Amino acid sequence: MQLKAKKPNLKVMLTTASCALLGTTATVCAEETWQFDTAIMHYAEADRVSATEAIIAGTKTFKNDEILSLKLTIDALTGASPNGATAQPTPQTFTRPSGNGQYNVKAGDTPLDDTFHDTRVQLTGQWTQPLLKDYTVSVGGNFSKEYDYMSASLNGNVARDFNKKNTTLSAGMAYAYDVIEPEGGIPKPLSEMDVGDSNDPNFNDDFNKTRIASDESKSTIDLLFGVTQVINRQMIVQLNYSYSTVSGYMTDPFKIISSVNKNGESQAYLYENRPDERTKHAFFGQTKYHFDSGILDASYRYMTDDWQIDSHTFDFRYLIPFTNGHFIEPHFRLYTQSAAEFYQPFIAQDEAKPNFVSADYRIGELDTYTVGLKYGMPLGDGNNLSFRLEYYHQTPKDNGTQAIGVLKEVELYEQVDAIIVQVTYSF
Amino acid sequence: MSNMVKGDRVVKCLARKGGFTLSFFSMASLCEVLIDTDNEALATELGLIAANEAWRIEDKYSRYDSKSLCSEINSKAGQVVEIDEETFNLFEFASQCYEMSEGTFDITSGILRKVWHFDGSDNVPSEKSVEALLQLVGWDKVSYSANSFLMKKGMEIDFGGLGKEYAVDRAVLLISQRSNAPFLVNYGGDLAVHGTRENDEPWQVGIEHPSFDASQSTLVTLRTGAVATSGDANRFLLKDNHRYSHILDVVTGWPVKNPPNSITVAAPQCIQAGFLATLALIQGADAENFLKEQNILHWSIR
Repeated sequence: MQLKAKKPNLKVMLTTASCALLGTTATVCAEETWQFDTAIMHYAEADRVSATEAIIAGTKTFKNDEILSLKLTIDALTGASPNGATAQPTPQTFTRPSGNGQYNVKAGDTPLDDTFHDTRVQLTGQWTQPLLKDYTVSVGGNFSKEYDYMSASLNGNVARDFNKKNTTLSAGMAYAYDVIEPEGGIPKPLSEMDVGDSNDPNFNDDFNKTRIASDESKSTIDLLFGVTQVINRQMIVQLNYSYSTVSGYMTDPFKIISSVNKNGESQAYLYENRPDERTKHAFFGQTKYHFDSGILDASYRYMTDDWQIDSHTFDFRYLIPFTNGHFIEPHFRLYTQSAAEFYQPFIAQDEAKPNFVSADYRIGELDTYTVGLKYGMPLGDGNNLSFRLEYYHQTPKDNGTQAIGVLKEVELYEQVDAIIVQVTYSF
Repeated sequence: MSNMVKGDRVVKCLARKGGFTLSFFSMASLCEVLIDTDNEALATELGLIAANEAWRIEDKYSRYDSKSLCSEINSKAGQVVEIDEETFNLFEFASQCYEMSEGTFDITSGILRKVWHFDGSDNVPSEKSVEALLQLVGWDKVSYSANSFLMKKGMEIDFGGLGKEYAVDRAVLLISQRSNAPFLVNYGGDLAVHGTRENDEPWQVGIEHPSFDASQSTLVTLRTGAVATSGDANRFLLKDNHRYSHILDVVTGWPVKNPPNSITVAAPQCIQAGFLATLALIQGADAENFLKEQNILHWSIR
């Protein structure tokens, strides 16, 4: 009959024809539009660091289900961060990490270095597309830069669907390279902080003796294996294992540790030193369950590494929708970790110096919890607005170290309160 | 009485697992919109959007409605009629279908029903009467511009082959502009889906034909795009042991030989699927081959 193989492709011709028909308002024919998410987040610790972050993320889905996501994050950090030294019943003086001047800490206060202010710009991009039947591949990159820090990474991931897309297996790999170039250079590990008179003409020379380099770097390789299983219409489960190995400079050049005498009085401050290898294993399980009244999202993560840090994270969210399209989502998160084997709140002056030591409470024994609430509402035309308010509490704990002398009178493990506020608009 | 209210214009909302089903009656079909959302108010609003658009299209383009634009155009055959942009766009689409089908898909061919009554009887018309009517068939005999339309006196146009599918696509367009929720629009077996469902689950739809038994209904699994169905096994003529299908080759004016009872075709848009299904039936015995050659996904019932 009329239409044989030599005929032009009907499907192509029809696409043009129906575009004209439905085209006046058609989004189906037009190039798919971008979907944007914008967010402003503010994180504030009581009397310490505060950070404000602005995010704009765009996602575009193309005709053959290719997805391009781009994200720009800008954050500004200001405030004071613990320098690692213990509180003392007397005032203390510290040299700034840059070597430009000194700062004083009142008696009884946890020493905080108030020189932190930095602006970070981060750009991430990810391309995801179906490949062959049942396969999805994804590649991406990330670059971030702040005043004294640069990070670049690449990642790739492949996923395969089985069992009518009810089961997905995925494997991924990522490589990251970070460079830190602190103002004032890299301190010599375990050397004593020079706390002389910074106006002394010899001060700079003395300070420079504690420096070994202007920058350091580290590289990270991550491997990720995951399985996602649809259990039934209501339930989906995801299990992941990830392996991460870091090699290079992981010491925090801004952190010190107090060296104390038998009476607990600070005699010197030593720059901390961490191993230059770290291997982590993490196991992650998550389930989402769709109840008639809402959606439960529960997850658990177990992480263990060869620094002897083991951590457990429990996270629960429950989304409750209202009939007008608004929703409320309570959030509860519990976190607990054991201390790194080289963590110590202070060093006894008369004992041999360990090879590795850090008094950074973030790698000490630590419990935290987060309670929060998110409220979201549709604004029509597919736009959404949501607000998030969370309270984050950190409880650093002693890892069995006995406080000695005057250290018994001060707070060695100061708890930290923080508030997180976020506004998100999607259009 | 010029503003008669049509009694059954209501949209019913029914909860189902994962969302709501909105149903109403239009274009001689049960019309359903399935929306995956927890939000009943939103579902109802989206259902109303679809229903109002379907009723608007029915009122404008139904040849059974004497007040429709279609009836006005038909009653003014021989005169220049003013048309609007939407009608022009539909004519443009019909015109391209006419060209793509080399004249076999023709919205002026409905007039052949005057002699062909596919009522299962042996009432086959005479060649002379068919020949006479063919003088009034042919898209090449009409002329139109962006705002006017003219056809020969006695000719008729019929949007029956496109209207329902067009309403489905319009519903998809309007709902997707209002909400991100995944949904399915099913107007009497012509259907389209939009959005990604939770867990990327596909829609499964049984395409039921009143004339077939349940075992012959076609189960279609759909993640994106549309399907439309053509064919009706109950419409035929039987004379001298020869079965005449209701699918007319409008070039000859006579039924095509041995078409499938029904063809369901998948395409990105419902109006495309509808055209392809009809065009395939016109190929008669060659229907499935025709679709295969064009690499078009389809389900056939013979």
